[in-house]
Amino acid sequence: MASTNSSTTVNNATSATSTNNMNGSHSNGVPTFAIKAGLAQMLKGGVIMDVTNAAQARIAEEAGACAVMALERVPADIRAQGGVARMSDPSVIQEIQAAVTIPVMAKARIGHFVECQILEELGVDYIDESEVLTPADEAFHVEKHGFKAPFVCGCRNLGEALRRIAEGAAMIRTKGEAGTGDVVEAVKHIRTVNADIARAQAALRHGGEGAIRALAREIGCDAALLKQTAELGRLPVVNFAAGGVATPADAALMMQLGCDGVFVGSGIFKSGDAAKRAKAIVNATTHFRDAKVLAECSTGLGEAMVGINVSSMPATDKLAGRGW
Amino acid sequence: MVQTIGVLALQGGFHEHLSLLHKALAHLKASQPAKWQQHNPNFIEVRNSEQLSRCDALIIPGGESTTIAFIAAQSGLLEPLRQFVKVDKKPTWGTCAGLILLSEAANATKKGGQELIGGLDVRVQRNHFGRQVESFVADVNLPFLAEEGGSALYPGVFIRAPIVQEILSSNGSQVPDASSATTPDSANGVQVLAVLPNRTKRVHVANGGGEETDADNKANDIVAVRQGNVLGTSFHPELTDDIRMHVWWLEEVLKAHSPAATQ
Repeated sequence: MASTNSSTTVNNATSATSTNNMNGSHSNGVPTFAIKAGLAQMLKGGVIMDVTNAAQARIAEEAGACAVMALERVPADIRAQGGVARMSDPSVIQEIQAAVTIPVMAKARIGHFVECQILEELGVDYIDESEVLTPADEAFHVEKHGFKAPFVCGCRNLGEALRRIAEGAAMIRTKGEAGTGDVVEAVKHIRTVNADIARAQAALRHGGEGAIRALAREIGCDAALLKQTAELGRLPVVNFAAGGVATPADAALMMQLGCDGVFVGSGIFKSGDAAKRAKAIVNATTHFRDAKVLAECSTGLGEAMVGINVSSMPATDKLAGRGW
Repeated sequence: MVQTIGVLALQGGFHEHLSLLHKALAHLKASQPAKWQQHNPNFIEVRNSEQLSRCDALIIPGGESTTIAFIAAQSGLLEPLRQFVKVDKKPTWGTCAGLILLSEAANATKKGGQELIGGLDVRVQRNHFGRQVESFVADVNLPFLAEEGGSALYPGVFIRAPIVQEILSSNGSQVPDASSATTPDSANGVQVLAVLPNRTKRVHVANGGGEETDADNKANDIVAVRQGNVLGTSFHPELTDDIRMHVWWLEEVLKAHSPAATQ
């Protein structure tokens, strides 16, 4: 089989037996990493959809979304309208929380730990420290270990993913290029992560600990996390695709490349028939190796989002370069 | 002969269950070679009715129950699953979302309710403990896991977890005070396998997004039940590296298929 899906290698790095007390939380009331990463493990094989109001959230839930991302504006509109993009108004998030029973995520600006404190207070199930919003700090991402709410962060390569995990991220996604409907950057990022993991495995196999330390210096990450990644043959937390997925085929492509699930941002509610497209992408993500099902669910979806070719986009317009 | 055991792979923690099944089988083959060398079940991912038809037993993993129910319906799997669980009565184990799907009734579902497979005469309360920030790990007392001199405590991972709120009698009414039953067998054959004692019961407030805690109302929450061939747990054994639940369940599957072997 041509698939390079690596998710059959199960991540037990976050298993619960490593907890050192009875209630799974540290003495300060923060849940253990196993609890934070565990929710992401339960989202695997699913689709997380960007929604801007209760009606869209209900469409997403009825279409089988495993979670929703509550936003004021989808990335395509943030891109079109420009200006500073910030955390959503809490009323938008609360309206969506009241409308659905599935997990609700929300975005905070890179480095804006007060937006994260507010989102945690709102009871958001996962916080996305996201490059789609305008970064608030040019030197530091949020220190995520101390929060009760778990975090998902974007990456373009293994070093970036492991830096975020070291800061406390319990879930990773590719950055892709949000709001374009062009999957090319998401593909580039998962292929880069996969190639970096293969390199780490080769380093461990042929050069042992010393080679892992050298590679960790080169890609700028923690050596222990890099060794763990090499041993697992995959990232030590769940890794979703994001940034440009617009069709069922895009979703299945990212799954066959080894992603654990898919975020769809502007691709659903910027298309002609949002409910039908949402259902089709959910089906394609489950049956990602079944071309017969993929052909059926790709049929008659109406107009896809118009999209922007990333190759014709000036570098200054790209969001993926935010963060480091 | 148990030949094929499936894990429903529509969404959720199915790889994690498969990994633990492989470890549990390796353990059984090493510890009881005479019994388990002749049974060499293979483990498969189940995404369609053809794959389900090959299975002698099934695990429904944790995940998002609305998502799994939706994809099952889209994939033409709901009726085959009901046949598998309720008519053919093959061994089936659901964890978290799987417990919800194997229940006959569920509270706190999405607007308009959700499709269930059924098989357990219970009503579950979804997201009983609240949102993700309320998720926790707690030791669960499971006496059937205790080997001689060993511990019966098992690490229960509860993530946005449901509980069994009521045990339904066969005519659909509630069996009173099920959570304090000292004998596990209720009238309709639902066995309470585990309760989580003395957690503060949360009272959910509709539409507010908030919840009140009633400090005087300490509840024994039912977190594991069994009714004949069907097992349901609120917690996620697939998020631990403790193989005891999977070892025990494989032995139960074998007993169900070859009753003579247990004599």
